[in-house]
This record gives sequence, structure tokens and C-alpha cells, in this order.
Amino acid sequence: MKQFLLLVVKAFVLLYLIAWVLDLAYTQVYLHSSKRGKVEAVFNGKPKKYDVVILGTSRANNHFVPELFEKKGLKTFNYGMSGSHLFETSLLLELMIERKFQMKCIILEADLSLSNDKRDEGTTARYLPFLHHSKAIANHFRQEKEFYGWCCIPFYRYIEYDSQIGFREMYESLLGKTTSNLDNGGYYPLHTKNEANMKNNYQSLNPLHNKYYEKIKQICKSNNIRLITVTTPVCENVKGMDYFQKVTEMYPEIHNLENFVQGDEYFSSCGHLNDKGARLFTQKVINLFFSEK
Amino acid sequence: MFFNSLSFAVFLPIIFLLYWFVFSKSKLTQNGLLLLASYFFYSCWDWRFLFLLLFSTFLDYYTGIQIENSDSKKKRKIWFWLSIGTNLGFLGVFKYYDFFALSLSNLLSNVGIKENPLLLHWILPVGISFYTFHGLSYVIDIYKSRIKAEHNPIDYALFVSYFPLLVAGPIERATHLLPQVKEKRSFNFQQAKDGVFMIVWGLVKKVVIADTCATYANAIFDHYESMNALSLALGAVYFAFQIYGDFSGYSDMAIGISKLFGLELLRNFNYPYFSRDIAEFWRRWHISLSSWFRDYVYIPLGGSKGSKVKQVRNVFIIFLLSGFWHGANWTYIAWGFINALYFLPLLLRNKNRSNIEVISLKWNLDSVKVILSILMTFVLTCLAWVFFRAKSITAAFDYIKRMATNGIFQSQYLANRRYNYEILILILIFVSVEWNNRIKQEPISGRFSILRLALCFGAILALGTYSDYKAFIYFQF
Repeated sequence: MKQFLLLVVKAFVLLYLIAWVLDLAYTQVYLHSSKRGKVEAVFNGKPKKYDVVILGTSRANNHFVPELFEKKGLKTFNYGMSGSHLFETSLLLELMIERKFQMKCIILEADLSLSNDKRDEGTTARYLPFLHHSKAIANHFRQEKEFYGWCCIPFYRYIEYDSQIGFREMYESLLGKTTSNLDNGGYYPLHTKNEANMKNNYQSLNPLHNKYYEKIKQICKSNNIRLITVTTPVCENVKGMDYFQKVTEMYPEIHNLENFVQGDEYFSSCGHLNDKGARLFTQKVINLFFSEK
Repeated sequence: MFFNSLSFAVFLPIIFLLYWFVFSKSKLTQNGLLLLASYFFYSCWDWRFLFLLLFSTFLDYYTGIQIENSDSKKKRKIWFWLSIGTNLGFLGVFKYYDFFALSLSNLLSNVGIKENPLLLHWILPVGISFYTFHGLSYVIDIYKSRIKAEHNPIDYALFVSYFPLLVAGPIERATHLLPQVKEKRSFNFQQAKDGVFMIVWGLVKKVVIADTCATYANAIFDHYESMNALSLALGAVYFAFQIYGDFSGYSDMAIGISKLFGLELLRNFNYPYFSRDIAEFWRRWHISLSSWFRDYVYIPLGGSKGSKVKQVRNVFIIFLLSGFWHGANWTYIAWGFINALYFLPLLLRNKNRSNIEVISLKWNLDSVKVILSILMTFVLTCLAWVFFRAKSITAAFDYIKRMATNGIFQSQYLANRRYNYEILILILIFVSVEWNNRIKQEPISGRFSILRLALCFGAILALGTYSDYKAFIYFQF
């Protein structure tokens, strides 16, 4: 029995060592990659200066065209991330500050995401390789119940999110393969139309006093960044449009732009403008907020 | 509680330590602990079905003794059929009732009689097909006077409910497991070490091979209408490795876990994809089920004795039953039927036992023939798996038709955001590891076992699929 228990102990030590080596290797690969995603581009890239930074969900990512801001002479990048919540958006802003980014103005898309203060698993995963290398990330995740697992069990975070940061993603990062995430100044244009998705129901949604939105406001204030918070367009076939009214009742500083673009020809799905709609919307936003420049 | 879950990783060491350090004094304490652990393990799935398991155990225990004690043939028969009828009745109601009711209703509607069938929609008690077959074999063996009835209720209950094999086999025989259960076990280092290696290899098969193949197989089968010929062919191959890795991985883990408690279970898989014909495949795939049907259905029906017509009938009966055992769906029956068709030419030419010896390859023409026959058997098996995996028989035929007529053999981007060919290298590595170790039960033992163990750990950690978690396929049977 003693011999067997020794074998088991040896096996566990071996398992731990392999996990530790893998953790080290994966983390090193992600620490040297900046071509695949917005989080690693911020973390591993050089500090940048922007006139305008766009933050939010896919409804920011697909709606704001940096090219049009650039034409106006405004250095702009769209850091909107599909699937993200305000939880990750506020972290991205903290990370930018930590990495010495300089921004004059932030346009934050905060509408449907205000109803949620939980994390998005897919977006959260993108930050985890840098957990031991960024105070902002470590502090942000400290309240999460898996935090000590991610921190203390080697390779656990790569196993838990294997489809986002597992072997396949690590291998492609190692090869230096690029994605379209950073093309077009971070803007991802939509071209196809999904007729089945040309309706939405927001009746069950209610905006929260969202602590991550509050955090974004506080960061902008203390870093002297102009914050423009907006709602973005939805199609006409929506039930529960009073949601946007509730948003401005709770947060009067938020600009209601949900009706800024109308007509199904401008939409790819009910919650997402197509490229034509995004260009129209961006131009209207520029005219509204940056007309003096 | 799955074998590849964290809760099982806590459960197993606790039971192991209690078994060898606290309850090791006698056979009674060892069996008592294992029985309690088994009932706890089973109740983690659904405690309500524990009563069904207890009832089934008590029924077979009691009828077994009554059959043995009966002084007349008639009484023996009554007790025997009472047990068989009740066991099959439970299985029929829980597993097959809705299928028969729906099939009958469809049949009647085809002749113009519209009926709304009364459906039960009951959840299938996990492992019912496995523990029912344990009980059946026990009662049949007593009735045929092959074994004596077990009078110790704890020993018998442990034979039926032993947790490593309770929910997905292997299907044990009283003649094999009961004699082991009746002896006090002493710790054996080599046996326990082999057990650990089998558990690790089983885990590699499950999380690295089966679950990874599953993401591709699902992406292809669920959207087969939009897939090209290459994707469809690869989909069948991926599913073949998914189901093999899943089920044989579970069996390896069950055998390995059992070794930790000093009990040997029947081998369930013997590298089936290296078979040279379908008969050999069925001697290597789900061995405990095939041999169960052979011993309790095929041989009593006459087996390979008698006229060719009778032999053919017997073959079709066991293959159809085998398909139907897997689930209440016409696709499983079609899968069994196809395998019977594959088997037929071998039977008619008396070649169904021609590939018994271990495969060895040399640099000659015979070896080329062996490789070709292995590939041919694998292709036939994959085609049959299409029926097993498809949602309906029509979908299976459509899948195969598109595979043959689509004619586009290009890389295709799948719904799981990966290209159709991406895991071929992983499969080829797995096949070569199995091929080089085909005379052993697992590839870790032997020279450089620590290095092999390290490679397995590395594969489990780095190549396993975890976020898209999948239960073991055979739990649904």
C-alpha cells in the first residue's frame, strides 16, 4: 500500500508540474501576441493616444465606423467587443489606463448591457492569461468565486475556457495568425441580413444601477476623459421600447439614439445595423457630438 | 456523478481510503462499504430510482433462491418467468413503452385510424439496461443449474449494484464477479497500479478523443444538408471515434476503478477498429453485451447449428435485439439490421471465425491484404454508425446519399468555428498509439511508464475538451 500511495503522490506531482509548465508556456505565448484580439492588443501593444475610443458590446463594435471619425481628423479606435457586458467593458478601460493609453473622449454604448452586471464568460476568458501580470485584471476578478482557482491552480483557467484560450487559440497565437478583430479600426461591418431576427422583445429587461457603468464614469472623471454614453439603434419591430425611456430616467446623461436610424434596409438584424446603417449612424453621431471640430 | 467529474475525484479517494484502511477487516465490511458507496453513487443521479434498483435486486435475489429450492419443474418455471417477466416489464415500460405506443399510433394512422396515444414521457432510469441484464443472467444461470443461488443479500446486491459498472457496464456475469465478491480482497500493488493506468487512459479516450471528436461530429451531423462530401465522410469517422472513445473510455475507467478495490471486471473492448471483418469487430466491440446475447439468446436459439436458414434467422435476431437494446428508436434497429447484413456473407461462407489470431504485419502481400480488410471493415462500420447517430432513418439515407453524390472534397468551415479536417492528426496519433499497444489493455504500462503517463497528463490538460462538456453516450441506454 505504501508503494501505491507513493505512486499516487508521484503521479500528482507529475500532474502538477505538467500543469505548471503548460501554464507558463501558454501565458508566455499570450504575453507575446497582439494580433488576434482587442484585449491582448491593449495589453501587449504600445501605449496609444486617441481622440476617440469606442467601448461597448457588439452594438458598439458593429455600429461605429472609425474611418469616418478619422476623416474628421479624430484618431479613433473601436474597442467594442461582441458578447461583452459592462463588467468587461469597465475592465478594458481600467486596463487601458494601466497601460498608459491617452484618450480625450470615450463613446460608450450602454443600453441593453445596463440590465446586466454579471460577467460574460467568452469575453472574461480573454483577460485571464494576463491575470498574474496586471493589477487591474487581478483586482477586477478578485470578487469572482473562481478567482483563487484561476490564480492558484496552474492551468485551471486554460482548461475552464479551453474553447477561448485553450490549445487551438494558443497554437494560432504562436503561429502569429491574425483575425479580423483589429481590422477597420476595430469596427466589424455586417453585410448579410437575417429576416428571422428582425424583431426583438425587451419587455422583460430593466436597467440596473449598474456598478460597472458607475465605475466607467468615475474612471473618466478622474482621468479627465470626456464620456459620451449613448444608446444605439434598434429596428422598428421591437416590443418594450420603453426600456430606453427607463434608461434615461435612471441615467439622464445617456443620449437616446435608438431611433437615430430607421428603416429595415439599414439593419442586419433587429439589434445590429448593417454597414450602410452603421455609416449613416456614425455620421449622425459625429455631427451631433463633434460638429465644432 | 460522472467518472470525469470533480465530485467523483473526491468520492473515489474517500471510498478507496475507507475500504483499505477502515473497512478492510473482513469481506462483510468491504462489501458493506462498497454497497453503501454504490447506492450513494446511484442516488446522486436520481435518488427516486434507487427504489427501482433495490426492488430489482430483491426480486432476483429472492426468485433465485426460490428457483433453487423448488422441488418441481413447474415451480422453478413459475419463479423463473416471474423474474424474467418483471425485469423485462420494467425495462419495457421505462424504455420502450412510448416507442411502441407511438409506432402503433403511426401504423394505425396510415390505415386511416387516428388515435392519440397515451404517452408516459418517463425519464429513463440511468443504467436500467445494464443492471437488468445483470439480474437476468443471474436468474437464467440458476435456472439452467450453471450456478448456485446466492444466499448472502449483501454479496448479491453488490454484484448487481457495484458502482463502477452500475450505470454503463461492462455487463458482468455472476459466474465471473460473484466468486470475487465472496472472497476478502487483499491489496495488490500491481493490480492497483494497472488500475490507475487504465483510469488515466480511459480519461484520455473520453476527454481528448471522444469529446473533441464530438464537437466536429455534432457540427457535421446537425447541419448535414449543407455539408460537402468530405465533411460528411469525416463526420462519420469522427462519430466512430467519438462513440469508441466515449464508451471504451468509460469501460476502461470502470475496469481501472474496480482494480483499485481488488475486483476484476470483464474486458469490454479489444481495439475493435483493427478488426479484419465484421465478425471480428463484434468479438472486440462491447464484448460483454455481444457475449451476453451470444450466451443467453443466440446459443439457446440453436446458434450456428442447424440449417442455414435457422442460422441466418438467429443472426438477425441477435443483431436486431442488440440494436433495440441501445434505445427505443428505429435508427438503432436499422443499425443492428445493417450489421446483420454485413455478417451474413461471412456466415454463409463459414468465414465468421476466420480472424481469431492476433494481427501481425510484415513486409509482404498478405499484410497489405490485412490492412485493406481492416480499412474495409472500418468503412462499413462508419456507414452503420451514420444510422446510429442520425435523427431518423430517412436522415441517415440522405446523409449517405449526399456523401456519395455531392462530390465536393474541400476543406469546409463548420458551425463549431473549425475546419472539417482539423482533428485528423489527433485521430492518427491515437490510432498509432493503440496499434503499437494492441497486445496490452492500455498503452501506459511497460517501459518508460512515467514518460507515457506524463504524455497522457499533458494530453488530458492541453488537448481535452472541457467547456463543451458532454455526458457519456451510453448513460442514455
